[in-house]
This record gives sequence, C-alpha cells and structure tokens, in this order.
Amino acid sequence: MRRIVLCGLLLGGSVLWAQKPDEPMTGAASGTTVITTPRKPPSTEPSVPLGEELPVFDPGSEVVSWGGKHWNIMNQRVFQARFEKYLNAPEQTDAESMEYQKTIRTILELLSPRDANNQRLYQAYVLLFRAAAFDADGGVCNAVANAVATAWQAQLNQNQLALTVEELKKAMQAEQSKALMFAGAQEQASKQSTGKKSSSSPTPVVSQNEMRQGFYLKEAAAFQAQIAALTAKREVSALQARVQFQALMVQLFLQRRFQHAVMACHMYRQLFNEGDSAIKVEGQTKEFFTKDLGMPPTVSTLLSLASEAMRDVREGVNAYLFLSERHEMDSATKRLSEAFLVGEYMPEIRTLPREKKRLALTYSQKLNRLVSALSVKDYEQAEQLIKELEAMAKDFDSTKARAAVETAKTVSALHLAKARNAAIAGKTQTVEEELKQAAAIWPRNPALLELSTTLFGQSDLQQKAIADFDQLLSQGNLRQIFNDKLRFIAALATDPERQAKLKKVLEDAQLIEAAIARAQEFARRGDAAGAWEAVERAAQQFPDDVKLNQLRGNYSSEAASFVESLRTAQRLETQGQTGSSLAWYLKAQRHYPLSDFAREGIERLAKKILPSS
Amino acid sequence: MARRASTKPHAAWFLAVALLATAAIAGGYLLMSKINDPYRTLHSLDVLTYLENGNSLRGNTYRISGAIWDSLGWSPSAGRLFAIEVGTGRSGDLLPVLVPVSLNHVNLQKGQRFVFEVEVLEGGILRVKSLRKE
Repeated sequence: MRRIVLCGLLLGGSVLWAQKPDEPMTGAASGTTVITTPRKPPSTEPSVPLGEELPVFDPGSEVVSWGGKHWNIMNQRVFQARFEKYLNAPEQTDAESMEYQKTIRTILELLSPRDANNQRLYQAYVLLFRAAAFDADGGVCNAVANAVATAWQAQLNQNQLALTVEELKKAMQAEQSKALMFAGAQEQASKQSTGKKSSSSPTPVVSQNEMRQGFYLKEAAAFQAQIAALTAKREVSALQARVQFQALMVQLFLQRRFQHAVMACHMYRQLFNEGDSAIKVEGQTKEFFTKDLGMPPTVSTLLSLASEAMRDVREGVNAYLFLSERHEMDSATKRLSEAFLVGEYMPEIRTLPREKKRLALTYSQKLNRLVSALSVKDYEQAEQLIKELEAMAKDFDSTKARAAVETAKTVSALHLAKARNAAIAGKTQTVEEELKQAAAIWPRNPALLELSTTLFGQSDLQQKAIADFDQLLSQGNLRQIFNDKLRFIAALATDPERQAKLKKVLEDAQLIEAAIARAQEFARRGDAAGAWEAVERAAQQFPDDVKLNQLRGNYSSEAASFVESLRTAQRLETQGQTGSSLAWYLKAQRHYPLSDFAREGIERLAKKILPSS
Repeated sequence: MARRASTKPHAAWFLAVALLATAAIAGGYLLMSKINDPYRTLHSLDVLTYLENGNSLRGNTYRISGAIWDSLGWSPSAGRLFAIEVGTGRSGDLLPVLVPVSLNHVNLQKGQRFVFEVEVLEGGILRVKSLRKE
C-alpha cells in the first residue's frame, strides 16, 4: 500500500516526467488505455499552496487519475524510454559521485535528531552548498539551503518586529501616561473652577488640558494600531516561512529526492521547533494523507514516507539482483522498474552496475517489442519474441500473448480459405472482403501476401489475356487464339460475352484444323489438287488464317495446272463469259475429276445455260 | 552370143500400177467427199481464242469437229448441253455445246465423233446449228 501510494505521489511530479496530462496517449502504440473524463468544474474552494495537482493512483488497475485523465503507469512510453535510458547508462561510481554521496550522508548525520543543535544545523547548512556544486545534485541542495536561509531571515525579521512592537508598546504606554496626567490635571482644574463659580470671567468650552489629553490619547491609539499591524505582519511572516518550507519538503518528496526530503524535514523541525507540526495542505493532497494513508499531513508522516521509500528502493534493487541470478527476468525487471520508478535518484539505483542492468534491458526491449508486435498485429514477429522471452525468462507468462497470436492466425487462415474458395468460384467481391478481413486481423501474414500475389497475378494475367483476345479477334487471328485456347478459356471463364465469342472462334478453328487435316491426308496420298481444294474451301471462309494461306500456296504450286484452270474459270465466270468459263471448268474437272469446285462450277453454269433443267 | 531380152513383164511394174490405181481411187474418194462436205466453207473454231474470250466471237458460226465427252444437262425447252473433246488425248480441250431441241432427233452418245456447225451466242455459248457424224 505504501509503495503504491508512493507511485502515485511520484507520478504527481510532473516536472520529472515532463508529460502533458491533456496530451492523448496512443493506446495502440504503448498498449495504454487512456480514458478521458470530463474535467471537474472549477473548484470554489479557496486557493491553497498544495491542492488539486496531486494524482490519484488506483492499485486495482494500476491506473493513475490526474486532471480528468486516466492512464496505466506501467505502460507509459515515457517511463519505458526513461527506464531504458537508465538501463543503458553506466553506473555512477566515479569519484565525484562517491564524494557527493559522502557529503549527503554527512549532512544527514549532522541533522540527525539525536544531536540536534544550531551549530550542527549550521554545519549542515554550509555543506549544502558544497553538495549543490555536484552535477548529480541538480541544484536541489541549493533550494534547501535557500529555504533554510529564508526561514532564518523570516525568524530574524520576526525578532526585529518583536523588538519594534516592544518599543511601540513603550511609546504607547508613555503617551497613555501623558494622557492620564493631563486627565488628572483637568479634573483638578475642574474642581477649582467649581469653587470660583461666582467670578464673572467665562470658562472656555475645551480646556487646554483636555486638548492635550486628547492628543496623547490619539498618539497612543496610533501606536496601538501600529503594534497590531506589526503583530499581524509577524504572524503572517511566520506562517509564510513555514508554508514555503513545507511546500519545498513536499516538492522534494514528489520529485523523489528522498534524501533531500529527509534533510528538509529535519531542518524544518529545528528551524520551526514545532515537532509534529501539521503541513498546511488542502484538497487532494490532504485527502492523500488522510484518506489513503490514514494519517494527518505532518512532517513526521513525510519523513516516514521518505525513509520508507529509500528502504523500498534498496530492497527492490536487492530483489532484482537475486531474481536476475535465477533467470527470473520478468519479476526481476518489474522489481527494478518499480525501484527505479520510486528511487530514480537513490544511490542504490545509480550505482547498479551496467552489466547487471543489461539483462533487464534486453528483457525489457524484447517485451516492448512484443507489445509493439502485438499492437501492430505482427504475429510472426510476436511468436519469435515469445520464444526468445521464454528462453530468457523462466517466469515469463506467455499465455495471453500466445493466445492472441494463435487466435489471430486461425481466424486469418479461415478468411484466407474463404477468399481462396471465392476466387475459385469467381466471386470477386467476396474475395476482396475476405482478404480485407484477413489483412485486418493479421496484416503481415505471409500466406496473405502469397495468396494476394497469386490472385492479383492471376488477375493481371487474366486482364492481359482478355486484352490479347480482343486484339487477336479484331485482327481475325483465329489461329493465335486457337493456339492459346487454354489460356483464353481460363481467362474468359467469368466473361459470358467473350466466352461466346471464344466458343465461336474455337469452332471455326476446329473447322480450319479439320480442313488442314483433310488436306494433309490428300497430300499424303499424292492428291495435291484435292489437298488444295480442301484448304481453298476453308480459306474462302477464313481468309486471314496464316496456316491455311501457307498451305494454299504450297498445294497450288503442286497442282498448278488444275488450280490455274479453276482460277481462269472463276475469273471468266465473273466476267460473264459463260461458255469459256464452262470450258475451263471442264478442263479443271478433266485434271481432277473429284473436284468439287469444278463440279459446282459446271453445274452452276449448266443451270445458267439450261434454266429449266 | 547375145542373149535375148526377156519379154515377161516385170513385177515391179504391176505393183506401181496397182498403187497408182489405189491412189487415184482414194484421191477421187477424198475429192468427192470434200465436194460433198456441207461445212467445207465454215471456219474451224479457234479454240484458244474461244477459251480466252468467247464473247469476242459472238455472232460467228464455226465448225467444230470433236467427240462427245459427256452430257452436262438437259432442258426440254433449251435442249441438251454436251461437252465435246476437240483435239486428241489429254492435250485436247473440252468445249461445251448446246444442242437445241430442234436436234433432239439426233442421238448423241459419249465417244461419238461429230462435226458441229456452231453459232457463238451471248456469253460465248456454242449452240449447235447442225451436225453430222464424222
């Protein structure tokens, strides 16, 4: 409980953390959940030296509430960064640091309550300036020395004021005596004037004695007013000096300068000689003492807390050394981070050898990387880190991390399987949705990358195949389409319109292939004219087919006479030379009696000559 | 002593006379046949010209001598269409001739040789005006 309270107190030192409370924390990056709550309305309570600035720590959730914000102290990026910086820093065991610690110890001994006196206080006061000269002190001893000097000055002023008040009292009393004297003279004069009532001379309204008495009474009243003012000033001055010193003590405590806080507490007791004097605090600071600690805010409480913190830091460091030797790095690192959080400026923390801190650093870095990997959903990296951490720290609890990794992997694999099935079914939208979900769960999933590459690669190939198909179709290059038919069949599977065109192309190509096969068969039997006729008929239907045209050329040279006869017949037929054309058809038929072209030409022209036949 | 010349006629003379007589008979026969050929005044069809451009011969009448190669068709109104082979063997050409209805009484069979009097009609169609066996 005490340590938790200390944590709360220490985090309250905004100077230390240099953290803006209103600045939103990125939960994903630091693993910290920040809940912003509405700020309290402006307090109507009177302003006090120490009050609303204190954070409140909830030990159940390790969450600190401060200024309407809540955050987990153990996951603070600032703390992590500072802790890693400390773990990387060399131990402060140089002569200067040792000398500084020696000076601090001397001051504390001089201020020990056992032999407290003004002389030892003064010696300690002098040593404060020597300690302030060291870099490690950061000028804190100067602040303490200044506070002491201010207190002394205040006391001196109070003494001076007391003397002045005494003088004023004497003067007032003198004036009062004079007033009494003139009052007595006036009384006597009044009695005499009563005996001489018969005299005709008139008596003045205000006698000289009365006037003098009034004057001295006014003087005395003025002195009294001055005395009252000086007395009030003295009391305010005393209160101010105490409050300033108390503020310094609390500030040192909040800054985790426990040695300085202890010094200040001892000095305060001697300077103000008030024993367990109450610390003038209000608001949450007061609640912190009364509610959380169950003690009133006194100098003794502060001193006790500071001493306890110092002891706790020593124990934390010892625990770290013990646990790290037993390779229980999780607990060891936690103990060291707690000790560091509380006693960052304590000599036990500062003098811990760097080599011994490196273990915690390595573990801490790996742990932070694991948190980062999990927060960015890099589960492959997270799995690797879990293995490393398990090997490094016997007490590392990998259950949650492993569960997160395994769950993400399973769900991601499920979505990928769905995406794969959808791709096979040609459901593009479903593929996109499933890939999106898989990527959201495990963005760096290698299987996701592989599947995406395959699918998008297929998509690219498909797009290219479609473009090629369109181009070849526009060129009438059925031969190329037929040669790549497998590629086009796959690419156009989801495109019904092009699929119909492809079907027609393939049917035509089959006709061409059949004609070619037939021609080749004729050619094999030595029937060049028959081979030519076979390819010629197909070429009339598919004039752009390269292979057909090539075969036409080959066979026409082999059956040149027949082809020439037929060509001449066709030419003359188109010229209206029916008789001559028929003669050439007959000639062609004589060359190749099985010629379909010749037979058809003869029949056609015969019908023309004999219309009613 | 002088030998007496032979009075027996030489056999060669008989042979020569026989040949002359035969030639005279043949010549006479040819002359007679020539004199009796009704198409003797007609020009033979220039087949090559016809094959190149039959229309150029339109309106002319020619004589064609050839054998029936094949029947190409028949029409009760237009007549019969035959392919006749002019020339000999595979080097000969085949020409289509239209035998009109008026010549239906003439039997035309494959392989028979005829001499045709043909007229070149529009489109280079050869219509037989008359014919006779060779």
